[in-house]
Amino acid sequence: MRRLALPALALALLLTGCGSGAATVQNSLFAMDTVMSFTLNGEGDPQALQDTLGELGEIIHGLEDRMSATDEDSEIYALNHAQGQPVSLSPETAELLEQALELCRVTGGALDITAYPAVEAWGFPTGEYRVPGPEELDQLVGQIDYTRLEVDEADGTAVLPAGMEADLGAVAKGYAGDLLAEQLAEQGIDSALLNLGESTILAVGEKPEGTPWRIAVQDPAGEGYLGVLELRDRALGTSGGYQRYFESGGQTYWHIMDPATAAPARSGLAGVTVVSSSGLLCDGLSTALFVMGLEEGVQFWRDHQSLEFEVLFVTDEGELYLTPGLEDSFSLTEEYRDRGVTVLS
Amino acid sequence: MSRNGKIVLMLLLAAAGISLAVIAMQREEIADPVARISRDGVVLKEIPLDQVGRAYSFVLEDELGSNTILVERGRIRVSQADCPDQVCVDQGWISDGTAPIVCLPHKLVIEIVGGGEAFDAAAG
Repeated sequence: MRRLALPALALALLLTGCGSGAATVQNSLFAMDTVMSFTLNGEGDPQALQDTLGELGEIIHGLEDRMSATDEDSEIYALNHAQGQPVSLSPETAELLEQALELCRVTGGALDITAYPAVEAWGFPTGEYRVPGPEELDQLVGQIDYTRLEVDEADGTAVLPAGMEADLGAVAKGYAGDLLAEQLAEQGIDSALLNLGESTILAVGEKPEGTPWRIAVQDPAGEGYLGVLELRDRALGTSGGYQRYFESGGQTYWHIMDPATAAPARSGLAGVTVVSSSGLLCDGLSTALFVMGLEEGVQFWRDHQSLEFEVLFVTDEGELYLTPGLEDSFSLTEEYRDRGVTVLS
Repeated sequence: MSRNGKIVLMLLLAAAGISLAVIAMQREEIADPVARISRDGVVLKEIPLDQVGRAYSFVLEDELGSNTILVERGRIRVSQADCPDQVCVDQGWISDGTAPIVCLPHKLVIEIVGGGEAFDAAAG
């Protein structure tokens, strides 16, 4: 037995010798209709990191309970079924509704958080997909108008006319990511990857080895990754018709609705990825720019430089358009080396 | 060196050899891609993808539904499923840790750990 003790000891010494107190913890959870995955890096006690990971999960589930459009106990469900009466909201829901409305205003209604009746009519929440007729679509368009949603953040109340329905699906993950990042900052954790289901990713700080986080960007038209974004302290939001869709009569219908038609947005774009310091902004803008299309989206980018966001547009034809702020952080993968990239100005 | 001294030296060398072998095996284990299949956070199966000989498939079934998993050397996919959206089937093969296969209706996740990740995450 004594002979065996030696190699065991040597092994233990060698293994702990490489550690130097750095720890990485990782967790995946099902929330907000997706799978989220959080990776935290830090020095010192791994249990403390593990505890933080647990707290992040609690924040996510707390937000989901309040903001889900389908959960009958949620505040958004209450708002949608109050028949025009005011409902009281938690500070987070009121804040997010107000900030989301601001994005609706900034984007001229390309993002409209009251488009939920259309999302329902097409069957996306239940998976019982159908194609509504022209008359039904006309009627649905009349039910979509974010200006009729009134939020009083100070009072913590909101009112929505009967027959209308709000949904925070386009912004909730980004907002949640921002809250998580704040929580990490408070605890002094400066290296983390918060993947809130691939459409929303927050790269907190950089990797432990001092290099940026490498985020692959999916080709909307195929199974591969067309490029990689190297990000430090940046959030990313992606919207694409390939994320959730159904096919009927040879046509593909996806979940991103054009508020003006109450039908899936067909703007000539297959995918839009937005990078900025705010998850909420990335989330909301990627949806809005997808609805706008390339030309209008580029103009929006030029007109709103003060929002400090960068964009990668992918058209239906597979053309790539990049704002100059991403030129250094974006590169094509090997398989897509021949694909042209137009840098916007 | 005395006879006893030689024996001690040989034992020490043998011990060092064994520990190096153990370390090498551990390194190898980390270096090889392993497909980890879990349902609602509970690991059901781990498949070292580099040790797969002939391709094979199996069915994972519970009250939520069924998924047929296809395994080849170095890669894995869901080939059939009775979920409504078929997202897991449409994703096709995965061979690294960039993005897991997720069957949301069945709470099934197939992720590849180890093997070196080309990317830290996938946006899409």
